[in-house]
Amino acid sequence: MAAIQANKLLIEQLKLQIGHISGAIETQGQTVFGTSNLMSTDEITDFSLEFLELMLVLLESSNPLDHHQPAFLALRAFFSNMSKQILARGGRMEDFLRYIQFLQRCLIESLKEDKHMKIDGMRAILLLLSAVFNELTLSVFQAYLEEKEGTINAQQEELRETSTPITEIWDGVLTLPIIGTLDSSRTMIVMEALLNRIAAERARAVVMDVTGVRSIDSEVSHHLIQMVRAIQLMGADAILTGIRPEIARALTSLNIDLGNVTTRASLSDGLKEAFRRLGIQVTSTK
Amino acid sequence: MSVPGVHLTAIGSGDFLLEPTRSLDISKRSELIEGIIRRLQGTKSQRLYYDLAELPVIDPVYFGWLNALARACQTVNVQMVCIHMQPTAAFALSRFVKDPPCFHSAHDVSLCGEGYPG
Repeated sequence: MAAIQANKLLIEQLKLQIGHISGAIETQGQTVFGTSNLMSTDEITDFSLEFLELMLVLLESSNPLDHHQPAFLALRAFFSNMSKQILARGGRMEDFLRYIQFLQRCLIESLKEDKHMKIDGMRAILLLLSAVFNELTLSVFQAYLEEKEGTINAQQEELRETSTPITEIWDGVLTLPIIGTLDSSRTMIVMEALLNRIAAERARAVVMDVTGVRSIDSEVSHHLIQMVRAIQLMGADAILTGIRPEIARALTSLNIDLGNVTTRASLSDGLKEAFRRLGIQVTSTK
Repeated sequence: MSVPGVHLTAIGSGDFLLEPTRSLDISKRSELIEGIIRRLQGTKSQRLYYDLAELPVIDPVYFGWLNALARACQTVNVQMVCIHMQPTAAFALSRFVKDPPCFHSAHDVSLCGEGYPG
């Protein structure tokens, strides 16, 4: 009963002071987002009005604390979208969270105009506001995490693509410089890309340069051999180049047999070998 | 004289193209190999192209069949070349094949020259 009464009081105050509250929200929005050009003045105005409108709809609903009702979901989606927008524009999460706290404070401060409000009513309003804003903060934080996760995934994908650049260096000759470590997941990605390229380009030779591989263990060498075998099964020649002395020593101590694999000292030697096999002659014109 | 489950087509001087059909039953390996070898010997064939275009995945059983046919071909001085290996099949095969296969590989008939492994 006290809660229903509290809602009515809050709605009354919001309606009475909507101009004042909206103005305060806009001013604060300009300070937080306007100065750093994260939002335009029009956007801030629209945001303030939409927020107050959604808040009123929520308070007028039968149970504002029900997190599954449409009014609450709409308010949450509104904040979630806005936080994504701000993050995408380079805004800071903490600024946005402070702004949400400011919105809550604005609503609480609006109550001071009602001199006759009883302590029970005041408590009910504070509980309601804190419950609603806690939930909004959580949803904003969730949106922030999703956005970050999306960015990290996109960066990882980009890194994967750039770390395994497959280049057709000549008609039918592909080069693949391998840098870093070859773990199972990376091997699968590289192999998938490489085998598809072999099929698409009808490549007849693949030069795999491992100059950038600093260390090797039995798993990595197994993956290398697996790649060589898959290339050969596709009907292309595999040439392994750039095996460093420490890698050669490690391969020997791991009892890895590269007898069936064509190896050359450097990428340049590997290319010469590929050209020789394809019957290509590169001559100087001078 | 036809071999059940395969289409055998002469594609040039001494070359044959083998296209497996859906009805190929590799559990009858011996009969199949005998039929194919008889056909190859009858035409003095030197090279057999095995078309893998319709096989997205090759499992160990099928790989065993390919190896057995390739070994049989070797005994009658016919070279077996698998063509049109799909990337998915090559990927799957590379994970369980320990030793080099008995057959050669090439993209297709036209690209089967000095460059292919073997």
